[in-house]
Amino acid sequence: MSEKLVYFTGCFTNYYNPDVGKALFAILKRHGIELIVPDQKCCGMPMMANGNREGAKKNFDYNIDSLYEASSPGYDIITTCPSCNMMLKKEGLPFFESEKARTVSKRVYDAGAYLYSMNLKGKLDKDFYELPLKVFYHNPCHLKVQHITKEPVEVLKLIPGIEIVGVNKNCCGMSGSYGMKKVNKERSKEIGQKVWSEVTLHKPDIITTECGGCGLQINGGTGIRVVHPIVLLNEAYTPVRDRKIF
Amino acid sequence: MAYIPGFFMIEPSAEQSKHRAAGLFVRKEKKFDVDIFREQLKEIRLETRRNSAALIEQLKKTLAECDGIETTSAKDAKEAASLIKAFAGDREIASINKSNVVINEIRPELHRVGLKTYLRYYGEFKNFEGDKFQKKIEDYWSLPNIHDKHLVESFDIKRRIPITSPSESKDYIAILGVNAISAEDGSVYFLQHMSNISKDIEQAYKVVVVLSIEKILKNSIDAVNHTRAMGIFGLESILLDLIPHDVEKFDFDSLPLVKNEKAKEIMFIIYDNGRSDLLNTPYQDLFLCIDCRACARQCPVGQHIPFEKDMVYSPKNYLLGSLQGWLHPFEFCLHCGRCEVECPVNIDIPSLIWRSQFEYYERHPRGLKKRLLDDPELLAKLGCLSAPISNWSVKNPFVKLLTEIFVGINRDANLPTFHRETFRDWFKGAKNV
Repeated sequence: MSEKLVYFTGCFTNYYNPDVGKALFAILKRHGIELIVPDQKCCGMPMMANGNREGAKKNFDYNIDSLYEASSPGYDIITTCPSCNMMLKKEGLPFFESEKARTVSKRVYDAGAYLYSMNLKGKLDKDFYELPLKVFYHNPCHLKVQHITKEPVEVLKLIPGIEIVGVNKNCCGMSGSYGMKKVNKERSKEIGQKVWSEVTLHKPDIITTECGGCGLQINGGTGIRVVHPIVLLNEAYTPVRDRKIF
Repeated sequence: MAYIPGFFMIEPSAEQSKHRAAGLFVRKEKKFDVDIFREQLKEIRLETRRNSAALIEQLKKTLAECDGIETTSAKDAKEAASLIKAFAGDREIASINKSNVVINEIRPELHRVGLKTYLRYYGEFKNFEGDKFQKKIEDYWSLPNIHDKHLVESFDIKRRIPITSPSESKDYIAILGVNAISAEDGSVYFLQHMSNISKDIEQAYKVVVVLSIEKILKNSIDAVNHTRAMGIFGLESILLDLIPHDVEKFDFDSLPLVKNEKAKEIMFIIYDNGRSDLLNTPYQDLFLCIDCRACARQCPVGQHIPFEKDMVYSPKNYLLGSLQGWLHPFEFCLHCGRCEVECPVNIDIPSLIWRSQFEYYERHPRGLKKRLLDDPELLAKLGCLSAPISNWSVKNPFVKLLTEIFVGINRDANLPTFHRETFRDWFKGAKNV
């Protein structure tokens, strides 16, 4: 744990879902941890997925320089997007390797896993307000393959009133813009269908997942609201009268 | 001294599993350590890769001393098919086993040279309705995690098939891809779940044994462990194969017996098809693969691209096919990374898939739609700057139609909402409060 954390926001939080970043900011502030948000670009994975190696390298190198410098006093780097996390930790390294990239890779943590380890060390504030919700958790592939599966759920279980009615670790078929493309429409839907069925079977009040793309796919298929676990956690720290979301 | 190599069947045994389960739960016997076995396997595979050229030469010498064995080499599937056709003579019917090499690589060429191939494996199941193989596994993902139950040791050598020359046999040719062969003594190992392979060795008039070069191992101990590993780590993907197949059945059992004119002929083909070329490339880890298809169990798109006829789709097989030049590179890969999760020899398949795509697009131009979508941050910036107009426009049916036509975004896609104030804009203000 470090006294300051460097935050790689990712495009989804920055442009489409600022509530995630705001929630993280509030949670960390509560724990006396200052957030640093250095200059950054898209992590580069969407470029890789569209065959643009040069574009991906340009962004990756830019981010590595920026994150390396910001974290150099010994600060950890935190992410709320599983794909950005995986790009910085693993996917980019075989192609855009450098000493700095290897160092940054070792400093990167998923926010949920980070809070989980804070709890193990007795450093997580558990002064929660009740949040009576039936929650379904979808574990995104890019966390699952990094073996981050139980941590987000274990943190949410600390909140009084929350009932985890189901956990799903299957692929939802979205994968960034993949599931949005017309050419992949049917395939993406077929893959997502199993997740949708499992979710609706459990009749949750809300679905939680870290991945913005998964959120769109599952919301599109079930009509049930999807939020990031960090947002849920921050709501539990917030008195009912001040809550903006629930 | 001339001798005949052995053909060994490594098979699962329900009896042994039951005994083992009882031992674990009642008598508290020591559990089989899958992780230690995995490490041993990796060592075997690394050594095989390091010494491949020498092992091939050693095997050639070993087989040269065997009685009744013709050994030859094929650089690719076309050459293998031509050798098999010449060996088959007038025979047109061939039984093949469920080997990736035979089914995916050689079979199309066998059909081109006029041989009819049938997969006897499925014929041995009883769950046919007409010609349609019936589904038994309801959920692709919900297979039992057999490793956790410590019941994995049940694969072992159950029998040796003697290579004799019976006075009668059936008038067809068997083409069998091996799981492993020992370079030291030429003993051949097959993983067998049903009885199709042993029947073929016993009944076929002529037998072709396909030795893909990565299956040539140092000695019989390594070859047995390699084949057992294929059974252990492939057990769940075997269950995946029990999905509907339009299997063309052929009743080999009812073929009449014909009198043998001479001794049973067996041809060994040492088969490369680009594998040795991989050894000096970043794709060399594919040589470590034991073809267990554990990666198939994890692949989300596998069930939705019915490409490998008669086999469950495997990302590794597809990647190899694209490197061999007979398949396009992955366009349907989600890059979820799941194919690496259960690989017993830790092949970083996701990374190799990225690499193959990069290399493809270094040689081929990217289409307009790909170029438009490869910088989502630029689109997001424009969308946020012009919000809420941008949010209205992406919901407008006419704009959606244009986006579908020119950018390739499905008009029904659930798109995110642009925020005029981005998080980083907000943060600049918030940190000063």
